[in-house]
Amino acid sequence: MLAKLKTIARAARLAVARTLRRHRGAPDPLTAEGAQQRFAQVRGAAIAIAVVGATGWVLWKHAPVQGAGPGEVGVRTNQLTGQVVQWRDGSVLVLPGVHQAQVFSLRDRVYKPLQMSSASGQAPVQSVEGLSVGVDLAVRYALDPSKVTTTARNLPPDLGAEVVEPAVQGIAYKVFARYTVREIFSTRRVEIQQALETELRGKLAADGVLLRGVQVGKVDLPADYKRGMENLLAEELETQKMQYTLELKDKRVKQVELEANAEKVQREVRAEAAAREQVIAARAQEEAMKHVLPFKERQIEQRRLEAEAEKEARLKMAEGNAQARRIEATGEADARRKLAEAEAFRMEKVGQANADQMAREGSLISKHPLLIQKTLADKLSDKVQVIIAPPGTGSSFLAANLLGGAGAQPQPEVQHAAASAEEQ
Amino acid sequence: MLAAAALLTAIVTTDQAALRASARDSAPPQSQLWQGEVLEVRGERLDYLQVWDHAHERGGYVKATQVKRLALAPAEAPELLAVLRFMREAPGAESLGIAIAAAWLQAAPAESVRGPEGSEVLDVLGTFAERLAQRATTGAASKQGQAALTAHLDVAGRYGVKFASYEQQGRMRVCYDGEAFRRVLALPASQPQQKAHAALALTKPECLDPALQPLQRHEVNLWRAQVLEHVDAAALPAWLQNKLALRRASVFATLAYEQARIDGGGEGQAQRAIVELARVQRGELLEEDAAAYNDAAMRVNASRWAAVARPSDAPLTARASIATERGQPGETCVLLVDAKHDAANPLARRCTYALVWTQSASLNREGNALALAVQPIDGWRELWVFRQQRGKWAIDVLPPASLQPELGYAEFAGWVPGGQQLLLAREARGEGKYRRSFEVVSLDSLVAQKQGGDANSLGQFQRWADPSWRKMSVAVR
Repeated sequence: MLAKLKTIARAARLAVARTLRRHRGAPDPLTAEGAQQRFAQVRGAAIAIAVVGATGWVLWKHAPVQGAGPGEVGVRTNQLTGQVVQWRDGSVLVLPGVHQAQVFSLRDRVYKPLQMSSASGQAPVQSVEGLSVGVDLAVRYALDPSKVTTTARNLPPDLGAEVVEPAVQGIAYKVFARYTVREIFSTRRVEIQQALETELRGKLAADGVLLRGVQVGKVDLPADYKRGMENLLAEELETQKMQYTLELKDKRVKQVELEANAEKVQREVRAEAAAREQVIAARAQEEAMKHVLPFKERQIEQRRLEAEAEKEARLKMAEGNAQARRIEATGEADARRKLAEAEAFRMEKVGQANADQMAREGSLISKHPLLIQKTLADKLSDKVQVIIAPPGTGSSFLAANLLGGAGAQPQPEVQHAAASAEEQ
Repeated sequence: MLAAAALLTAIVTTDQAALRASARDSAPPQSQLWQGEVLEVRGERLDYLQVWDHAHERGGYVKATQVKRLALAPAEAPELLAVLRFMREAPGAESLGIAIAAAWLQAAPAESVRGPEGSEVLDVLGTFAERLAQRATTGAASKQGQAALTAHLDVAGRYGVKFASYEQQGRMRVCYDGEAFRRVLALPASQPQQKAHAALALTKPECLDPALQPLQRHEVNLWRAQVLEHVDAAALPAWLQNKLALRRASVFATLAYEQARIDGGGEGQAQRAIVELARVQRGELLEEDAAAYNDAAMRVNASRWAAVARPSDAPLTARASIATERGQPGETCVLLVDAKHDAANPLARRCTYALVWTQSASLNREGNALALAVQPIDGWRELWVFRQQRGKWAIDVLPPASLQPELGYAEFAGWVPGGQQLLLAREARGEGKYRRSFEVVSLDSLVAQKQGGDANSLGQFQRWADPSWRKMSVAVR
């Protein structure tokens, strides 16, 4: 519509411009001739305006243009020349009787074959076992814009019903018939979908239709089969669950094993560290002991030297002592000799004196017998001070009375006696 | 704990009590019973009790005057507690004391066991067990005494009192496992003094298993430190505070060494050890703790360098300095370097498995000798002397004493100007001997030229002792 208005406005603008151009070369309008001429011009202009208006109105009502909106593609075929022009998002002049224009939507469309969706429906697909299976299919397609030019004239008005639906049915029944119900239901669903896409894409491409994708939705199984299948699947699921459980347990076992290994390694490392510490401590202890030994040796050496020095000193001292003792001994011997000589001299003199005294006393014995006893008493004990006893009779020993000998005669009387304190 | 908790229980009160076949003195004895053994009373006959000995699974008659019959009822608990308080200070009757303590625990109600009385009884029980272990370690002189000791240990074992034996210096030491003391520490009603007693008993250094590996020993020492931290020292009498401080100082000094071994740390522990040692009040020190004081001082002094931060790497100068590099696992190589001789070409090099306290390095003014503290084992620190002789550097080690390495230190105390003498402080205990001396050592021969038991008795020490040594060392105390 906008294009139409633009076209009309453009035509009016051109007409006014043309009129104005004509006015520049006109005669003076104040004259009669000019006025007549002016009138003639006005009448012509009115006619022209009427014609233009009528034309505009006709064009407005029956505009010879064809537009294509967003997501659409237009194809104009010149019926005289056979030339085909494709346009998008705009309008083209379409002259009646000359041009033929077609506008197609390029938007995606979806086809859902409802007759296939239920196992008990009108036309369910058949499995390889011959069982009816309902499949909820959804085919998404669109016109191929690159081929619209060539296929435009052959495209049917209802593309879905006349092109897509037969193609889908022709392929879907064929493809599903290759698989078992179980495969359709669970295991090979993706494969089936891919097969449908592959085959359908080629078939639709020939008709200028672009296949976007095929969705295989819910699969409707026969009731009995469905129950069995569900049980089977449940068991399978159980099996798989068990498998996963086993895998999990296996992984846990591995995890425990790894943890145990890690702990073992850790323990070993700890033990190794502890052992190393012990070795280091033992080596340090050994080192300390080693350091003590030379010190001890040095001390021993020092003590040995000190002992040697002491020995030397003691030897010297002993020598001195010995020398001194020798001197002392010589002196002592001399002294003793002198003393002995003195003693001998003394004894000689004493003996001589004694002999003289004995001689003198011998001479006195016969005269004074009591004097002998006194002498004896003096000899018997230095503690006996005075003993006075009667003289012996007969031929007995003169001191027999005092000693109490066998031949001693009883004494008539004892004049005086004095004994030692110990005897008393 | 007790075999029978009924009325009919008797505890043997004398050693070598006879279990006879009949209730007559002339009946032959079946077995001997020792004080502390528990019997089940099954009857009375004349002045004898018919009893069943569960330990020997034998019945018989025992003189009624040789046992103490107990009902093990709550009413008896005060009487038993009074007996325990008396027996606490009665050496020689430990097994009987343990039996009485067990009887109290059985008789007393749970509230009493959880209360102050419970902690007192557990404290006494631990004291008995410890004293029995001490008796077992010392041994008995006579055969009869040995038999009694063995029997007492056996009786204590029947009450669940466990002992462990460790070989130390060629002798077996029997140690109580300290379960009663652990319970004392755990009971909230325990008095600080009881806790201190328990902590001191649990952290005895002589009862550490000598077979422990270094890392296990470190764990045990950490536990010992935790146990000692449980005690509130402020609430204790001064003499007990001293004991606690000495033990803490020893444990933290050991931890400082071990931590330095593990990751080069130990600063906090070493400082704590020094602080604890400084808390000891000399005037309140018991005579029996004098040896422990010296031991703690040696241990703290041996690892005191851990309290000083290690120097950062400084650029080499013309004066010799110490550098270290790693050798074999656990080995440290000490290098003497200067500006002309870097680590690749050192003046002297020696590797050791000991801990090298690089922060202790001291070079004399003449630059011909350097002293370095090296600690090979816990509580035993050596002095390494680097000497320049005829243009070459030599390394000599001065150990604390010519004894089996046990406890001690040899530390640098100063340089005598002239580069000929070194001041050295030595203190060591080992092989049953204790030595402490301050020496003036010749750098030529490393022989002590002068020595004395007091640093102030040597003129060189008065004049040339290093100020930092005087400040930090505990050798002068």
